[in-house]
Formats: sequence, C-alpha cells, structure tokens
Amino acid sequence: MDKKYGVYICEGCGIGEAVDIETLSDVAKEEGLAVKTCPILCGKEGVELLNKDIADEGVNTLIIAACSRRVLYDVFRFDGCIVDRVNLREGVIWTHPRSTYPAPTEEQKDDETFIDHVQMMAEDYLKMGMARVEKIELPEPYLLETLNKKILVIGGGISGISAAIDAAKTGYDVTIVEKEASLGGNAKNWRKQLPGAYPYDGLIPPAIESKIDELESYSSITVKTETEVARIAGEPGDFTVTLKKPGEKTEFDVPFPLPDEMKLDDKGNELDAEKLHEAFMEYNKGKQDILTLDPNGEKFGAIILAAGWRPYEPEEGEFGHLGYGTIADVVTNHQFEEIAAAGKIVRPSDGKEARSVVFIQSPGQGDDKDFAYSGAVTSLVALKQAKYLREDYDDGKSYVFYQHMRTVGLTENFYKNIQQDPGIFLTKGEVTSVSQNGGGLIVEADNTLLGEKIQVKADMVVLATGMVPVTKDDPVVNLAYRQGPGFRDNALFDDYADSNFICFPYETQRTGIYAAGAIRRSMTVEETMEDASGAALKAIQCLESVNRGVSVHPRSGDMTFPDFFFQRCTQCKRCTEECPFGAIDDDEKGTPKPNPARCRRCGTCMGCCPERIINFSDYSIDSIGSMVKAIGVPSEDDYDEPPLRILGLVCENDAYPALDIAALNRLAYSADVRLIPVRCLGSVNVIWIKDALAQGMDGVFLLGCKHGDDYQCHFVKGSELADIRMKKIGDALSSLALEEERVAQFQVAIDEYDKLPQIIDDFVASVEEMGPNPFKGF
Amino acid sequence: MAETYVIEPDLNFIKEVGALGGEDLKKCYQCATCSVACAISPDNKPFPRKEMIAASWGLKDKLVNSSDIWLCHNCGDCSTRCPREAKPADVLAAVRSYTVENYAQPKILAKALKDPKKLPILLAIPAVFFLVVGLITGLLDFTPDLSEGIKHWKFFSTWLVDMTMLPAAIFAAAVFALGLKRFLGDIHQNALNEGKTNKEKIEIPGFIQALVKVIPTILLHRKFTECTENKDREIAHLLTMWGFIGLFIVTSIFFVVMYGSYLLPSGALHGPWSQLNPVKWLANISGVALIVGTSLLIKNRLSKKDQVSRYFDWYLVYLAFGLGVTGMGAQLTRLADWAFISFATYYVHLILVWALFAYLPFSKLAHLVYRTVAMAYNEYAGRNF
Repeated sequence: MDKKYGVYICEGCGIGEAVDIETLSDVAKEEGLAVKTCPILCGKEGVELLNKDIADEGVNTLIIAACSRRVLYDVFRFDGCIVDRVNLREGVIWTHPRSTYPAPTEEQKDDETFIDHVQMMAEDYLKMGMARVEKIELPEPYLLETLNKKILVIGGGISGISAAIDAAKTGYDVTIVEKEASLGGNAKNWRKQLPGAYPYDGLIPPAIESKIDELESYSSITVKTETEVARIAGEPGDFTVTLKKPGEKTEFDVPFPLPDEMKLDDKGNELDAEKLHEAFMEYNKGKQDILTLDPNGEKFGAIILAAGWRPYEPEEGEFGHLGYGTIADVVTNHQFEEIAAAGKIVRPSDGKEARSVVFIQSPGQGDDKDFAYSGAVTSLVALKQAKYLREDYDDGKSYVFYQHMRTVGLTENFYKNIQQDPGIFLTKGEVTSVSQNGGGLIVEADNTLLGEKIQVKADMVVLATGMVPVTKDDPVVNLAYRQGPGFRDNALFDDYADSNFICFPYETQRTGIYAAGAIRRSMTVEETMEDASGAALKAIQCLESVNRGVSVHPRSGDMTFPDFFFQRCTQCKRCTEECPFGAIDDDEKGTPKPNPARCRRCGTCMGCCPERIINFSDYSIDSIGSMVKAIGVPSEDDYDEPPLRILGLVCENDAYPALDIAALNRLAYSADVRLIPVRCLGSVNVIWIKDALAQGMDGVFLLGCKHGDDYQCHFVKGSELADIRMKKIGDALSSLALEEERVAQFQVAIDEYDKLPQIIDDFVASVEEMGPNPFKGF
Repeated sequence: MAETYVIEPDLNFIKEVGALGGEDLKKCYQCATCSVACAISPDNKPFPRKEMIAASWGLKDKLVNSSDIWLCHNCGDCSTRCPREAKPADVLAAVRSYTVENYAQPKILAKALKDPKKLPILLAIPAVFFLVVGLITGLLDFTPDLSEGIKHWKFFSTWLVDMTMLPAAIFAAAVFALGLKRFLGDIHQNALNEGKTNKEKIEIPGFIQALVKVIPTILLHRKFTECTENKDREIAHLLTMWGFIGLFIVTSIFFVVMYGSYLLPSGALHGPWSQLNPVKWLANISGVALIVGTSLLIKNRLSKKDQVSRYFDWYLVYLAFGLGVTGMGAQLTRLADWAFISFATYYVHLILVWALFAYLPFSKLAHLVYRTVAMAYNEYAGRNF
C-alpha cells in the first residue's frame, strides 16, 4: 500500500490551551507531512474533514493526535486506512497539568534553557505515532483453505447434551461422543434433582430423561456412544479428529511429549532438534507424529469439552477418623445417592432402615476446609439427601454438620425450605470422630452452634466428598499439539479445565476448545445447562471468527497474526514452548509450524524470539523499536540539567486502561516518562529495552498484569514470561556497567489506577538517584 | 469445660412449640442478631440465639429447664431485627407456654387451659361449685333483703366467698410449690451444665437476698424500660400489675377488717364501704388501672400483626379485663340500684376470681412466679443480667 499521510491535531478538551499547537504542527511539517488542526476533531466538522481528506486527497494513513485510543474508537475508525491515535489528552495534558509544569512566559519562549515538559512530551508522542505508522501495514486475514463448522461435543452427560441442543438450535451440526454405552452421565443415577426453576424450593424429578428425548428430536445431532477421542489435530475450523472405542489402541492415539530428562544426551547436553524428534518418535512408538493427519479422521470446527466429573474416591485410610473404610455404614454422598436411588434408605452393613443419618461437610481435624472438589453443590446435595431420609421415614432424623453452607443465588430458597423440616438439623461444627457403638454409630462434634462438644447417635454417616473433574488425570481432549495432549498448568485451577476463571468463562488454554459443566467447576444441573449455552456460544463465536480470519477473545476481531520470517529461524523452539495457547507446533527439524487459527494474537512469540523474526502487520519489533527511537533524549548538549527519559511499556489490557482512569481522575505522574502500549508484556522483546538504554534513556519499566497463582494476565503467561526475561536482562545490563535496577516490572490490576502515579514516580525517583544513563549523548 | 452433650432431638417438642406460636423457629440461621439486639440479655451465654437452635433441634431439656427463657420479657426487639423473620420473641413465648404446662400438675388442667373449647367447662366448674355449696349451706340467697340498699354479701355470703376462694388459692399454691421445687432444681442444673453460674448449690438465705433485690426491678418494670420495640406495652403491663397489686391490698384489708370485726361488740363490719374511705379510693383507682391496663394490652395485641397471639395469651388478658369490668360493674350497678344486674355481675366476677386463683399455675399468669424465681436465680447465680 502506498501510504499517504495526514496528521490531525485536535485542540479540544483543553489540548489547545495546554499545548502550543503551532510548534507541535511544525514537528510533523519538518517530516514533510501535511498537518491539519481542528477545534473539536471528534465533532461533526472534524470527522467531515477527515472523511473529506480520505476521499478527496487519498489520505490513507492518519495520525490523529487527540484522546486515548480507548475512547471514540468508532468515530476514528476508517476502513482501509491505517490509523494511529496519539494520546495527547489522557497521556499528556490531563496527567501533566500546567499548574505543575508551567508553560513558558513570553520572555521564556526564546530562552534556550527553559524546559517545557508538556510540550516536549506532546511532541515526542506525535513523533512516536508518526514513526509507528511508517512501519506498519494494513492486516490481511488468515483464511483457512477449507473451513468446517461442525461442533464436536466430548461427553454425553447433561452438559454435553445441553450444549449439543443449544448449538443445534442455532443451526450447527453437532456430534456427541460418549464413553459409556448410553447418554446421561452421572445425572441418570439420581433419585431426585436439585430445584432448577422458580420457586427453587423443592426437589424435582431428574431432568436428564426429558433432555435425552429432546436431543433425539434433532437430526443435526449425531450421537456416538462407546466412543472416545484418540486425538485432535489441526486448528479451529479445521480440526482432524480421530475417534475410537474406549481402551482401543490405534496409531493415531495421541503422542506424549518427551519427559525433560530424555531431552538430554549421555553428557547432559541438550539434543539437537532432529535427535529430539527421533527420541520423541521412539518414546511414542507405534503412534504417528502430531503433524501426520489421520486420513480417516473426522473434520470439526470447534470443540465443547463436557466430559464432566467423577465422584471422589477417598484413598485408603484417608478419612479414618470419620470411620470411612473401616465402618461399613460410613459412605460418601455418591454411595448414599446410589442407595437412595435403589429404594428406601437402608444401611449397607445389615440392610436395616437408617432412620438417623449424619451428613458431614468437612473432614475437620483442625481445618475448616470442606472435602476436596466440593462447593455449593455438595452443600446442596447434603440438603437434598437429608430430605430423602425424611421422605422415607416420618421419624427420620438428618443431621448436617458443616463448616460452610453454600447455597448461592436462588438456591437459598431451597435451603430455607429444607430448614423448615422439623427432622433436619443443621449446625456449623467440626466432626471429630465417628465410632461404632453396638449396632449404631456415635458421631462426635466440637465447636458447634449448640456451643459444646456434642454427640449424635446415627445409623449412617455420609461424607460430602467432591466432584473430581476428569481432566485431573486424563487430558481427554488428546490434542496432537507439540506442547502436549492436555491443558498446561491445570494444577493452578485444581485440575479443572480452565484458563482464566473470572474474566473468560468457558475458555480453556487451547483456542477452539470450550469447557462446559462440572469439568470447569462443580455445578448443579441447572448451572450446567446454563454453562452449556455459554460454551456453545463460545464455540460458535470461534467458528464465526475463524471464518473471517480474525481472533477470538480477548483480542476479538483482530485480523493480524504472527508472521514468521523462516529463513532466519534457528529452530530454538522458544516460540513453540512459550506460546500460552500451544498454537505453534514444529516439524522434525524443529522449524515452527504456526497454526494461526489457534493463535490469540498476544505476541508472546514475538517477545521471545531471539532472532526477532516473528511480527504482526500492525505490531512488530520494528514498529515499537521505531517508536522507542523516536523519543527525544535530551543530553547535556541540550541542557545543563537535561531531564530524564524513561520508557514505559504498558500492557494494553489492564494497565493502559488503568492509566486512562488515572487521567480521568486527573492524577498526575512524572513528565519524564514516555509510554508505549503493548499487546501483553509477553510480547515485549528485550531488544526494545536494549535500544532504549543504548540511545541514552535512563530507565525502562514494564507495567502489566499480576502473575503467579492468581494471575490476571489475559494471555495466561505473558506477564510471568516478561518477568523471567527481565531477570535475565539484568545480567546483560551489568555487563554494560548499567544498574539492573534501571529496568523494572510492576504488576497492577485495572482497579489500582490510583496507585499508578506513585508507582511511576517512585521508579523515576529511583532512576534519578542512580543518575543519568552514562551512554547519554553518545 | 462442659461435658459432651448427647443430642436427642424431640420432634414432637418442635411441633408443639410451633403450635404454641413458635412456628417460625426453623427459619433461624443462627446469625445471633437477636442476642445482639436484646437489651436485657446477659453478656455471658446470651439469649435468644442459643434458645433458637435448641428449639429447632428439639432439645427440650435445654429450654424447659433454662431460666433464660423467663429472663426474656417478650419486648420483640429481636423479632423486629431478625433477618429471617424467625421471631425469637414468639418462640420464647411459646416455649414458656410449654414450660408452664410442663411444671404444672395435673396435666389435664394444663391442657384444658390451652384449649378454647374447654373454656365453658372451666368456667362452669366455679359456677356450679358456688351454686352447690351455696344451696347446701344456705349461704346463697336469691331473694336478699334490699331494705338497706343493695348489699352483695346478702346475696352471696362472704363466708361462701372465702369457703370457695381459699381452697382455690391453696390448690394453686400447692401446685406451684410442687412445680417450683422441680423448676428451681432444673434451672440450677441447666446453669451448671451450661456454665451460667459459679454457685455449686442453691443456698436459701442467699437466694432470698437475691429475691429481695429483684423485687424493685420487677415492681418498677426496669427490664421493660430497656426494651425499645414494645414501649407501649410497658405502661399497659405496669397498670395491669399495679391494678392487681392494689386490689390484692384492698381485699386483704377488707378480709382482715371483716373477720376482725367479728370480735367487736358492735358486730361484724360488712361492705359496702363508704366511697369516702381511702381504702375505697385505692380500690377504685386499682380497678380503673386494671381496666385501662388490660384494655391497652388487648389493643396492642390486636394492632401488632407481626407478633403471634395465641389463646394462651388471650385467655389471660381477657380474664384480667373481665375481672376489672365485672368488679367495677358490680359496684356501679349497685350504686345505680339495679339489683338483679348487680348481683348477676357479682356472680360472674366471683367466677372469674375463682378461675384466676385455681387456674393460675396453668395459665400465662404463672409467669409472675416463674419469671420472679428465674430473675432471682439469675441474680443469685451472679450473671450480669
């Protein structure tokens, strides 16, 4: 594209008063670019001016110096044009008031030694914008050669069935695979089901049968029972799936990555790419490589993972103090449900009627935690099962000892209703022991609401053990991805299939695969059905993004994708390994094989590539590097006491919005910093930092999401990877005789905008203490 | 530390307390707002939070044997603030109703006092009793001499009054005596179990000291004063109580003077006394206080929709109101010279007085004994009530 540039400077919102617009315009004019100013650029006249220039003058590359790109993005969107938004309002004038940084007086205007911080900042940002647009291109979408829109649902329980029905209703073809011989999953083995509709107060008959009937009325849904996934290869819109009978061995069973210790030779050196591949094939003998597609595989576009849960099975002696394993009448809630489904509640030991049952919600022993993998559902199930006993026996007594009674939302009505039953007794408390006493059991509890150590005589004891997601020890999806068949770092989510629970429900760490139901967290049938709708919609959204070659959430609609300059690739595999979504595979030589439809466009590959051969059309090593280089670094040649210049690379997901909020609140921070938004801190390539320091900037900071166990990174790993890279860059800096502390990374949440000015100012102060960069002026 | 407590829920107890006005007890989720809201609950083991869970678990012994249920004055502060509308005040009232029945013998009478259908029989007993004794002894004269104006004793001899009333009072005292012994032992044992006292045994002198100490509190309704929700009940209850006390004093004076006067040469002094006599003033003031107080109580109960009122409550307030109205009525009709109406009213009045005495240990009025004892015990036990 032949670029025709146009620079447009808005004078509204106080920009015109705070900034010398004429001098600012000169910056662009010096570069030979046409400059226009407008009192209110977002107003009718302003937009008309822009449209007129595009239509009449053929301007296709616009540098709009006005407000943050996070506002009025629809006003300043011009299809077919490259647009850069220079943030004068939030980034300059709102956060650097003239009261703190006074404008020059008439006399000072000609004073060479006067430093006009605000004007310098505005000019720098304009230069940076101009530098960026020179280096970027309009994106062209990545389109698959053949696109398949069929949805595969793994798991034929209530969540899988519901998801399939929802997807089918919107016109998509769906295939359900179920390991068992019939559909229904856990839900078909219950006596009754928790309430699922207003008034949410009583038990209802299980909904599964009617749901299966409904499913059968859809001709667009194919059901494959006694089937499981051997492997899933490819990418969204073009998955090749091999199905098989459970337990069957096939050459398309998914291969597993080499364990770390097998990646080394006898001397402990890392094997080269080809040797590694040989070892990998040897390790997975009898299985095809991930890049070999099953010619008989079935094509799918997106996958809904609804493989659900299995009841927790206590290990031997695990709940010994509660008599589990030694006393036959101590059972799990799952075992109790089986008894209840079979008929009246009777004791497993002798088949006698159980008229007094104690339900234990927490294993106790000084800890108030509930059983593993429990939650609101196990609380509700205890109430449900307590009611069973009352249905069976007029004089039945159900005791529930809990540390937490979780009845969320409208299920509170159910709790209230159960509470009304005269034979159901609820108390917080710690059960200390369960022991046999003649024909019955004695349950002892401490710290109850009844105020003291208490004893209850019982016929049976039920432990509220949890719902274990099947992804705990089985990848289930069996992805033929270089990073491995399952989801990474699932331990962070207690082995639930998840990527970022709060912000992105249904999403897994693999694009195109959406989790629904109890594999995501323990949930009731009602919640599961709602969850299934969510996952089905995400799957559809994915298909309808892939077909246009754009990204899914969180960069929804982004048409760019990583472009590899393979001639210079050294097969280091860092991109393959670091991609948080496993989007990149590699061949037997170690050359990366990107799968753009799996990519979420975070740029982690670009950030990690030591050869800097990975770039996006509008976001590249060069585009950001050029922005860095466009920043003016005043030296002693210019001023006696030149101001510091500090580069801030700011994550655009939470940190940049937080800065905008800070600006909205007129919170001021140092005028010595120059900020550049980045897609994710994971996309930050250390070359930018080296460039900045090499050109005399005094410090660099990264501002991004929290990482660690409770990470807030929108791309799972980005801020964590950046942190690792920054630690490594420290060594390089010290070899240059630069203090490691000149580079820092800070974590912020989006609501911590009020802390940002302090963070920035503190860093500036610490750099000031270290003194200017010795390379300044060279 | 207390011993391990063996839980044995009594499902019938839960149902009975529910039927007696505590039907919302199972709504409690143990937030303890009630105990915080209560102005008169002690800091050590405060009520009514623990009573609420004991009630919903059917732990009868923890309630019936507890002095705490009597410390509650049913002001309703807790019920107003309860986030679950479990109405702790009503639950405690229901438990008290249950407890009265529990300590009173014979049970058949206690049950009858809770059953409105039995009311005619209960009132017929004194009516017939008067008639039979009166006719046998000739102390009931249906054609009394009206030459000196209406004199009630000429119709219904004072001998007959005392001949019928004294046994009723003695019966009540005996029932109380039996019940109280058990009651005091139970509440002490309960206090020991729950760590509400540091006294090993109940020492009579100390207990009496405590009793003397709480009497002014009761007479001045100091505990009532601390309640906020039910302020208007305080004056009504105070009037009613003082009405009864005044009338009790008047009756005692009359009793002493009349029987004493038999020793006088001039002969026995019978009523009615002159309206100018200060004792008569006290009688009339007390009568008015009783009528006004009970009227207010009735009005309050009728207007309070969020408070449960059972027959057990109504029986007492209407009985007290009836006593006041018939007593005053007998006097006014006497002054108006309506002989037949006055005698009839007097007869009804005596029936009500007899019912008040004889049924006292089984009625809600028993609270005057149980609450007094409970408050005295609490004072004795050293809890900062």
